[in-house]
Amino acid sequence: MSYENQSVCGAGVEEKVSSRRSAILLGGAALAGLALGGKALAQTATVTDADILNFALNLEYLEAQFYTIATSGMTLEQAGISTKGGDGTAGGAVTVKGGAKVAFTTPLLQQFAAEVAKDEQNHVKFLQSQLATAAVAQPPIDLMNSFNALAMAAGLGATFDPFANETNFLLGAFIFEDVGVTAYQGAAGLISNKTYLDKAIGIHNVEAYHAASIRTRIFQAGVAAQSASQAIAATRAKLDGTGTDDVGVGVVSGASTIVNNDSNAMTYSRTTSQVLNIVYGGGPAGTGGAFFPKAMTGTIK
Amino acid sequence: MNHLEELFHRRSVSRRRFLNLAGASAGAAAVLTLTDGCSDNGPSSSPAPPTTPPTTPPTTPPTTTLTDADILNFALNLEYLEAEFYLRAVSGSGLSTTDAGTSSGAVTGGTQVAFKTPAIQQYAMEIANDELAHVQFLRKALGTAAVSRPAIDLTNSFNAAAMAAGIGPTFNPFADEASFIVGAFVFEDVGVTAYHGAAGLLTDKKNLAAAAGILATEAYHAGEIRTLLTQLDVPYITYANQISALRAKAGGGAETTLSAGAIVAADTNSISYGRTTDQVLHIVYLNATAGVVKTGGFFPNGLNGTITASAT
Repeated sequence: MSYENQSVCGAGVEEKVSSRRSAILLGGAALAGLALGGKALAQTATVTDADILNFALNLEYLEAQFYTIATSGMTLEQAGISTKGGDGTAGGAVTVKGGAKVAFTTPLLQQFAAEVAKDEQNHVKFLQSQLATAAVAQPPIDLMNSFNALAMAAGLGATFDPFANETNFLLGAFIFEDVGVTAYQGAAGLISNKTYLDKAIGIHNVEAYHAASIRTRIFQAGVAAQSASQAIAATRAKLDGTGTDDVGVGVVSGASTIVNNDSNAMTYSRTTSQVLNIVYGGGPAGTGGAFFPKAMTGTIK
Repeated sequence: MNHLEELFHRRSVSRRRFLNLAGASAGAAAVLTLTDGCSDNGPSSSPAPPTTPPTTPPTTPPTTTLTDADILNFALNLEYLEAEFYLRAVSGSGLSTTDAGTSSGAVTGGTQVAFKTPAIQQYAMEIANDELAHVQFLRKALGTAAVSRPAIDLTNSFNAAAMAAGIGPTFNPFADEASFIVGAFVFEDVGVTAYHGAAGLLTDKKNLAAAAGILATEAYHAGEIRTLLTQLDVPYITYANQISALRAKAGGGAETTLSAGAIVAADTNSISYGRTTDQVLHIVYLNATAGVVKTGGFFPNGLNGTITASAT
């Protein structure tokens, strides 16, 4: 596959995508057993629903911090949203540049960014309420060195500031949203409680709405932004070990690629290990890196 | 057309390997049963726990028992509708005989949209490809259990919806690209809520994984369409919200009024809505009256399969 306006993402994607789907169709058990290069075998032990919801909570802390800071200049705690664990453990520090509030110039985008910030805050609060005393505290989160390292890996330069302007904000958001979709999709197959499954599917959908709106705006931002999204998608696919399960924004055969999905028009699913490899920037399981420099909190880390 | 054919060919070729592996899931689906959650009153209610599967499929399934195949066929009906809408909008013609099934119903209306903005045409192409792929995937997964395309109406349905929503006596979603986006809006959020509701009814984890993948694709479409609507001139977002109100009336609420700061359709916990099959039927039949509805709106002869009539 190649984008019409770019040439990224090597040949043979369709073939590899198909074989990846076959692995997914083997079901939750196969998903849980998928390990990448000996890394992060978090799912070999039995995971409880609480373990999975806490894994999701870590991702929501990350997203909520990013959007809250981008739209208000405040961290979650500063905005009055607790990052404490259910047992009272204090939340970890957030590493971010000073004055990170994005100088939005497009009202439509600013309003949408505020909506996403609210959604992610709601997800944090909802998961905390469901987990109650079992809820994990926020781990230390890095929103500065992480983006620089990812930019380097994606070939976008030595530094990347997602708070610098609207286009950078969109690309920063792009990094998270599709990963959220794949993470919830993978997690859905592991959840045993029907009510939790219903809620996880509901959050999964909301992340897809976010991802679509962000990708549509990247599409409209022009070829340079599209090209950057393709480089980021390729980097995520490389980090998760498949090299193929991620599509950037562009045009293929006369059709846009707003939706990040395979040739069966199904969104991709990632195991918790694959998600960890992405958000850790390839850092070791249990040790962490990139967005979670001290690893996630909880049992899946 | 050449573009489309080339693309469809590409998709169908790459599908083949995968579907060979998926065959087992269709077989399994046919014998699995579960308790129907359809008679619940609200989107937030949880489905009842699965019952013990019988050793043989019942010849006349009681209304409270649904198989995964029943649910996937329900989804297939909705995908037929979406595919016909988008394929006709981008190419002027709908599903092939192969993709519509041997005893397929007629399709009324649907003409190629005279797109003026290349980007909007590219969005439409992408969604058309996706919906076609969903039809093909579900048909293949269901195998011989797949229902054919029911009769579909893309003319009188939109007129009736426009009248009921207070937009006016007629509405042609194929008239121009802005109208097309409003037409797309009619379907996409409904697809999301339908799959959300259905996901909890599936018993086979493999089917759940497939449904989750289709469902998130529908949510991407919905997020995209809602974003585009906020960028259009005033009458269109108003039309969309009139349609949204109509869906809420027929489908048990489960709508978020669209605005620049409300792209996502979700509840106060920022979790998307689910709808029961009954609620979805009321919407696609364009009938908000409580009680049994069997036909109407987009499906003048009703859906095909076992889930065709609302219980309430």
